[in-house]
Amino acid sequence: MDALVRELMPYVSRVCGAIALDRGDDAMQETFIAVLRNIKSLRQPAALHGWVRRIAVRESIRAARGRREDPVDPSVLVSAPVPPIDVAAVIDVRSTLASLAPEQRAVLVLRDIDGLSETETAKLLGIAEGTVKSRLHRARSAFARRWEP
Amino acid sequence: MSDVGRQWPAAAFGPIGRARALAASIPSAAWTEGILDAPYATAWPWIADLAVSVPRFDTQVRKLRVLSRRAEDGAERLRVAATTFGVTFPFDVRLEDGFCLMQARARLYLVLMAAEPHDGGERTRFMHLEAVPLPGTRLVRAHLQRVVDADFRNLARLAAHGF
Repeated sequence: MDALVRELMPYVSRVCGAIALDRGDDAMQETFIAVLRNIKSLRQPAALHGWVRRIAVRESIRAARGRREDPVDPSVLVSAPVPPIDVAAVIDVRSTLASLAPEQRAVLVLRDIDGLSETETAKLLGIAEGTVKSRLHRARSAFARRWEP
Repeated sequence: MSDVGRQWPAAAFGPIGRARALAASIPSAAWTEGILDAPYATAWPWIADLAVSVPRFDTQVRKLRVLSRRAEDGAERLRVAATTFGVTFPFDVRLEDGFCLMQARARLYLVLMAAEPHDGGERTRFMHLEAVPLPGTRLVRAHLQRVVDADFRNLARLAAHGF
């Protein structure tokens, strides 16, 4: 069990940190509790990574929703079409992430960090592909607005 | 995962969080967590010297000998022999800074100790867990809880007196 925790720790740390932000530590702990308690229900070892990803995203959103400070109204982030940004150029992304709703951060993490397709992201989060597109657009808009000269 | 991911905020998982997650996944696990009135820089090195510390605070262990020690995968791996009620049991140990996982070679018993600095390092948050990680062993949990509670009281007393 501990070997599994050590193996998964770097990945879960990134997912929980980017989505749950200040509650990332709590999300990470809850993720591992859920993973370790239910690992026997995983019938296909090859599906481990995707299964853990799903749990980590769920626990991160749940932890982030528990924050007292609410993110800004996503409607204020809607703007004209924004070209994809070079996220690698962003030095401090935390404050920008904090301006997004947890669900938007989840989409951003899954699409731009994990490299999942819109279909895969929609399936994992249980939302429509159109919702993935709109959330991603808002998230990228927030980054573009934040870092534009 | 691209290189970009390295720039994103990452959650931290200290020894205590890791221990809590493991504790929640083992049905028979009994654990206790509290604050030792000793600096982490003093407490953990003493605790990690298992041959000295365990017989002093563990109510069930009379003697512990380190049979071998090697570095592996960012940790120290030890083989130890713990004598309990006149019987000696071999354990495999994974020892890291603030984290010690001891598993009986026959996988019949598991001991976990985790520690982190508290109050800026002036004191030490400590968690001690013992378990029989086998099916149908939930009933032993009450007994194990008394054991780990007694162990923690011993350790807290030793810490308060500078070990």
